[in-house]
Amino acid sequence: MALTLRNPAAWVLFCVTSLGWAAPDPTHWVPARWEGGPLEVARRGKADDRVRETLAKWYEPSSLDLLENTPINCLLVTFSIGAPSAVEALQQQVVKEYARSARKRGIAVLGVVYPGTAVSSVAMAATDAQLDGLVLDGEFPADFTADLARHYPGIVIPIAHDAASVRASSAPLLAVQGVRPIARDLADMGIRAGASAEPWIDSNIWLVRSFRFGADWRPIWVDQEPNPASEGDYIRCVADAAVAGGRWIVALDDDLRVNLFHRNADALGAWRRMGAYLKFAEDHAEWRQFAPFGNLGIIIDNGDLDEYLNLIARRQVPYRLIRRNELSAASLAGFRAVAAFAVPTEAERKILRDFAEKGGGVVVAGPSWGDAPKDDPYAEAPLGKGRVVVYKEEPPDPEAVAKDMQDLLPPEVIGLNTFNVPSAITYASTSDGGKRVLIQLLNYAGRPIERITLRFNGVFKQARLYTPENAPVDLVSTEAQKGRTEVLIPNLAAWGAVLLEQRN
Amino acid sequence: MDDARGSLSRRDWFTLSSLAAGALTIKGAKADVVQPPMSPVSVAKVVAYDADLVAQFQLMFDQIGGIGQLVRGKTVAMKVNLSGASGTGRQVGLSAGQTSWVHPNIVGALTATFAKFGAKRVRILESTFRKRYGTPLEDTLLNDGWDVKAIKTAAPIVEFEDTNGPGQAKQYSLLKVKSRPYIFDAFCFNHSYDDCDFFVSVGKMKNHEELGVTLSMKNLFGITPELLYGLRPKPDGAVVSPIGNFSPWTRERVFHYGQVQPPEGVPQEMDPTSSRYEGWRMPRLLTDLCGARPIDLSVLDGVEAIIGGEGTGMPGTKHGKPGILVVGRNCVCTDAVAMATMGYNPRAGRHEAPFRLYKNPKDHPADQLIPPGEYHQYADNTVMMGEAAGIGTADLTKIDVRGVPIKDVMWDYEAHWKGQAPV
Repeated sequence: MALTLRNPAAWVLFCVTSLGWAAPDPTHWVPARWEGGPLEVARRGKADDRVRETLAKWYEPSSLDLLENTPINCLLVTFSIGAPSAVEALQQQVVKEYARSARKRGIAVLGVVYPGTAVSSVAMAATDAQLDGLVLDGEFPADFTADLARHYPGIVIPIAHDAASVRASSAPLLAVQGVRPIARDLADMGIRAGASAEPWIDSNIWLVRSFRFGADWRPIWVDQEPNPASEGDYIRCVADAAVAGGRWIVALDDDLRVNLFHRNADALGAWRRMGAYLKFAEDHAEWRQFAPFGNLGIIIDNGDLDEYLNLIARRQVPYRLIRRNELSAASLAGFRAVAAFAVPTEAERKILRDFAEKGGGVVVAGPSWGDAPKDDPYAEAPLGKGRVVVYKEEPPDPEAVAKDMQDLLPPEVIGLNTFNVPSAITYASTSDGGKRVLIQLLNYAGRPIERITLRFNGVFKQARLYTPENAPVDLVSTEAQKGRTEVLIPNLAAWGAVLLEQRN
Repeated sequence: MDDARGSLSRRDWFTLSSLAAGALTIKGAKADVVQPPMSPVSVAKVVAYDADLVAQFQLMFDQIGGIGQLVRGKTVAMKVNLSGASGTGRQVGLSAGQTSWVHPNIVGALTATFAKFGAKRVRILESTFRKRYGTPLEDTLLNDGWDVKAIKTAAPIVEFEDTNGPGQAKQYSLLKVKSRPYIFDAFCFNHSYDDCDFFVSVGKMKNHEELGVTLSMKNLFGITPELLYGLRPKPDGAVVSPIGNFSPWTRERVFHYGQVQPPEGVPQEMDPTSSRYEGWRMPRLLTDLCGARPIDLSVLDGVEAIIGGEGTGMPGTKHGKPGILVVGRNCVCTDAVAMATMGYNPRAGRHEAPFRLYKNPKDHPADQLIPPGEYHQYADNTVMMGEAAGIGTADLTKIDVRGVPIKDVMWDYEAHWKGQAPV
């Protein structure tokens, strides 16, 4: 499990006694990788001289000045790499001093631990340095995390490399390995496609969303370190994690780190603009309480369905997740379509059949459902008031399913229809029983998108666009056919959020 | 319907076409016994889409002899090139109008220009290749950020129709090929291609992976309805989706490869034993289409375009800014001039640029590689097919080029594609 301080009482005791110095509740931590010191120099043995020099001096207290006027309040510092004990001790002494300075500014400090470290020594050193917790980065022996939790009273946050493995975790904070958010042309990737191919987008929005089963929110940290990175990369990293309510673990590339260290004006400007994006996310923390929107339900269990979640999101089909062990007629209320890719039990099949037959819903299933086509990729058949779509392949190809969704489901069943967003991904969420709808968009291209059209089920009188760059602006919303609202976004630089409200 | 075609009546047109065709079919006859028709072509340098395109088109239409009397009080149909629009064909950060689709400002300006000339109705047409038929064409256009509402107000009546099926009509229109037919002597189309007085092919100046270039003649492939030519008959008892038809086959099987014949009741191939090689078939098929639905006006958008292929999925394609507009009444003449502005010889033959093609055996049906396994393939030259069919001349020495001289606008697609052109 990701967060090993599982006992709430122990957590409180730990915070009040051992960590009386600690920064606020971890749910408020805005994290940044802040590597440095002699261990980091050793770890980055191949880095050039200017990088090594910067890393060596990074834990001078002045580097904390960079955090002023940013929401960053939690630093992940280099703590243990399994180096000889003398080298590790030197690092940990440096970190101890630096952490003391950080705490005076209300900043939490977490030690990053890499494989090769001994549990007892790192636990002792972290306690001595009064760290707020430890972050495990890498592949550790199976019992390492549990051992560390026994020896160390603080919070331990492993960075999960396989999101599916921790999706069932009840830990109050999770860290997962993400991807560098970017849009690329297939031709540049050496992929031959059709004349109307669209860009490929690597995104973490689906990843963060995949941990949300309802309105309840908990912090999801996305770890990925773009190096080298442009200013555009930085703001995309921040927004890409934040759209669905997560936080990017801010990570500096070598150039930015060196230039910030030397207080280069351009670097400081880029840093400020990234800070503005972080602030935008934190200023709108209430959006995290909005529940994910989707008329399509995807049933998930312990199996790896991540590619479906990723690719269906990329096709701009909003969905909500249904835990397989909670599947029931009640859990399907409010859905208009359900994707069930695992082989259903008889009980599950009955629930799904009823959903289609009596409720008029659409069931999308693999060949185990029965009557799979022999030639066509999928077949549709009526099922009472609804219908079932059965794929030929077991399991159905995620890319094909994702692409087909826009054809299988009518626009009003999808609920949110987006136009002119080939380089963007949208995420919709609702609150107040659907009276407020938030549609966030992130443009992964380096150029603005002009004239994005959104259509959403329901009639909303007010539409307002929020962006990190500008003050909120009211958009013209018109009632489209079938009781739907249409909104035009004239221009989107990177991150935008359209808040639809029913009130006048 | 209006028969007039400027100084050439439709009767003249058909007479000339049939004479040319007849001459060509006489064994041993020389192709120049009857000269294929020529019509002036206007060329312009336009560096950006925010130029005053209405004024630009008015000038170009004046240069080719005027179109006012042809559109006044009439229904103008514009077949716009959206590359089938199964996706938007986008490159990161660019609109499809900057790469593989015609740009909305071109279409908007044309609509306004036709309205200025008194057109009663303007119809904007394209067959979008989607499994779910019935999506309004306007929504497809929104997908590239078109200001559909503005275009709708640019003329008294502006209509959009997805011509991939019968559309608003109950049945398809049967149109016979009036030029020399090569593969089909008739086709079925959406009614809008028949029910118009003035037909405009608005193409993009692009390369094409299998045909070398795609211009106003190639644009007409998109008038063939996928729902008619691409649909496989459903087995007995099969369910037709309540939200639309499902097309597991594509019209490419009928047209490009000749693997299957059109459905029963639809005009069949004249000779099913002819070559199945698409590089042979498609230039002839396109000529047949232009003979069945003659183009009254060709408009070619080369202001910005993708180069090296017709869409963004082709490896090696690039975005370019040729800055060219070409307009003409005769599609063969217009396409020939456009090819010249792209740096190509419009009379080029097989294995000459741009008809020297590269086909990866991994990506193409084995029977489409002649000889098998060979990477380097060919296509026949569509404008030369058009010339031989008597539609128009592709001979630059005989075409009256007006506006900006070709040499002053030429933007060498091949050199830019290969990275040889100065940046």
